[in-house]
Amino acid sequence: MLPLEDIRVLSFGTGGVGPDSCKILGELGADVIKIESKDNLDFMRTIGPDINNIAGFNEANRNKRSFGVDSKSEKGRELVRQLIELADIIIENFRGGVMKNLGFDYENVRKLNPEIIYVSSQGFGGGGPFSDHQAYGPMISAASGMLSIWAQPDDPYPVGSNSPLPDHMASKHVVLAALAALDYRRRTGKGQFIDMAQTEVAASLVGEHYLDYTINKRVPKPMGNRSPYAAPHGCYACSGVDEWCAIAVFTDAEWRSFCDTLGNPPWIQDPGFADLLGRLQNVDELDKMIGEWTATRDAHEVMETLQAAGVAAGVVQRAPDTLADPQLQWLGAIVELDHPVTGKRLYPGVPFRMSGASPFPSIRAPLLGEHTDEICRDLLGMSEDEIKRLLDEDILHNPSNTEGTGRGMFD
Amino acid sequence: MTKEKESALGVYRILDLADSKGAYCTKLFADLGADVIKIERPEGDPGRAMPPFVDDTPHPEKSLYFLHRNAGKRGITLNLETSEGSDILKKLVKTADVLVDNSPPDYMANLGLDYPALQEINPGLVMASITEFGHSGPYKDCKGSNLVDYALSGVMITSGYPGKEPCLCPGTPAHDAASLYANIAILAALYMRGATGQGQYIDTSVHETSRLGLYPWIVPNYSYAINPDGPPPTSETRMGASIYPVYPCKDGLIRVVALTPRQWDALVRVLGSPEVLLTEEWRGFLYRIGNADDLYALVLEYTEKYTMLELFEAGKREGVPIAPILNIEDFYNSPHTKARDFFVEVDHHVAGKADYPGPPYKWTETPPRIQRPAPCLGEHNEEIYCSELGFSQRDLVALRGARIA
Repeated sequence: MLPLEDIRVLSFGTGGVGPDSCKILGELGADVIKIESKDNLDFMRTIGPDINNIAGFNEANRNKRSFGVDSKSEKGRELVRQLIELADIIIENFRGGVMKNLGFDYENVRKLNPEIIYVSSQGFGGGGPFSDHQAYGPMISAASGMLSIWAQPDDPYPVGSNSPLPDHMASKHVVLAALAALDYRRRTGKGQFIDMAQTEVAASLVGEHYLDYTINKRVPKPMGNRSPYAAPHGCYACSGVDEWCAIAVFTDAEWRSFCDTLGNPPWIQDPGFADLLGRLQNVDELDKMIGEWTATRDAHEVMETLQAAGVAAGVVQRAPDTLADPQLQWLGAIVELDHPVTGKRLYPGVPFRMSGASPFPSIRAPLLGEHTDEICRDLLGMSEDEIKRLLDEDILHNPSNTEGTGRGMFD
Repeated sequence: MTKEKESALGVYRILDLADSKGAYCTKLFADLGADVIKIERPEGDPGRAMPPFVDDTPHPEKSLYFLHRNAGKRGITLNLETSEGSDILKKLVKTADVLVDNSPPDYMANLGLDYPALQEINPGLVMASITEFGHSGPYKDCKGSNLVDYALSGVMITSGYPGKEPCLCPGTPAHDAASLYANIAILAALYMRGATGQGQYIDTSVHETSRLGLYPWIVPNYSYAINPDGPPPTSETRMGASIYPVYPCKDGLIRVVALTPRQWDALVRVLGSPEVLLTEEWRGFLYRIGNADDLYALVLEYTEKYTMLELFEAGKREGVPIAPILNIEDFYNSPHTKARDFFVEVDHHVAGKADYPGPPYKWTETPPRIQRPAPCLGEHNEEIYCSELGFSQRDLVALRGARIA
């Protein structure tokens, strides 16, 4: 048994937050139907060599069926309305106003399906002067205060990461909201609308920095990897190019163990490093000396040596390192899935286990419109003739009339 | 008088044995109305010692980290490492729906408090274990921390200024990834319990959730790039401003996301269609990445003519996402933040009244809210030990004296 096997989700949206959240609901067993259109593609379908061959898209859209439909046509919208009547949850993260223009905003949807749970997640949320602004993950960190403290103190300006955090943190909040609302509905029969601003998720994730402002009247500055309660606490360059090991020493007992592991060289016995306060006061010198020790050592060797001594240390891993990570291998964290266009590729699995549930499914992403026919037939009760006619009229999309769509948009 | 709305999770009691790895998980449940009882050792959660503090005064009730991530919870002290203590936990388990535990592998089993033992007392109990690296496997006994797990996650190598030390994302991203997956699994288990009546055990770790959850695309990006026809991997190092450029403008900084040719065209229009940017080659994303430094110098001249807000609005008009880089003060004071009533006032007995970040979403039927300030150490001992578990005042004094409560 899977937790959500009696639940149907309609996934509207694009990019990271909406698709990733629906992927997780699919992993939990829900029947997730991605509503897509070849004329208004999920933008992630447009930034690779082919609409069906983009790593990010094919990751974020696993465990879904694809229903290809022209939502701008009245007939297409009618079919979507029929699916809405059969759904338990709608998740959408289009730019503010898009769902309303299609007639699929909550006010309209609840008339079709009063018990629906509808989670809408925009960068800036619904309502408020910026609600119609488009926002991607890297802009959420910028507009939420998070990016302003995501830097080393001497960086010319903050850049955060080329991984679009906090997109995939916001998507988990979407799943949490949908599940909590579902639980409430199970007990009361009542659906509801949830409006999430991804900027507010980001602000919540750095909430203690907001309290520093509201309580201490201080505008927090970037601290890089430094910690006010641990030293050493940072990434130290190891042998090789761009190879680093993160080290975090919290207690004095850990520090003594750290010193023993380094063989108690004279510099480390400086009384200025003896306790946390001293190490924090002399942190520049401390980091320099530790950097000299790590510089000639392999990052994995540094991690293993320090971990053996009970000190928190970890290699700053790249994708191939995470594939070779012995713990992740032990947990079976990475899965290989075959796909008709891309062949076999690697994807992350589900990072938790539930003792009372069947193993979670991991199903490759659908081609655009791959399940249009079966959804029309099995859920909407349409005849083969009608399906064919709507495909010919380009009101429905399936792989037969979408091949080549979007090709070359990446330049 | 307006009727107070119900809460989404008000029927559930959650026992919170979590430290920083699970604090955010139970905070989100408290926002949704759950009765979260934070169970601390008599000396207090280590999070109480985390600076900075209110007025920079170290004090167990003044850690900003603790105040934010424990708002909405009740709190008791209890020493599980005594037989009376573990019996008291079992009494609480009888009344609870969920238990969130962050202890290392084997710790709960050694106390006779592992899931099989607790399930016997309460078959409906959902127990979630968040360890650093898992209950088994080669890293089982390794030490983790938010920094170390962020490093191992594969995201840190992409974080920070190019050529410099990789830079930690502010907050506690690795721990919060674990928290959020625990939220998801717990709610899935409660939903199943609605059908089966049975609880279950959830096993997750900071290591696997931060690797798989914070930015899942790293592995497929790499796996797809093995294909020689595919785009180069962007997940291998710090690309800084080349993909998502940061430009100075009149009154601050902006960040631009122009990935598709259409977005690039819109950016050029925002900047007044200067001739130097109209070259066809610049429309190609990979060309722009390959010549990021040259492009940066060109674009800079034009962004500096405008304010953050002008560029933000022009980007919306023309169709290229541009965001102002707001600092903590800017976001707090932004008219948009104010219009959404995101910050809410919380009055804490020791820390005083202040605005806190509120729940990060609005619900029509069951509005989340911060039910109460973070608990002071042992604040609800009397309420829970005496009023709910039936101990007398004298018992409680004795339990305190024996360092059990």
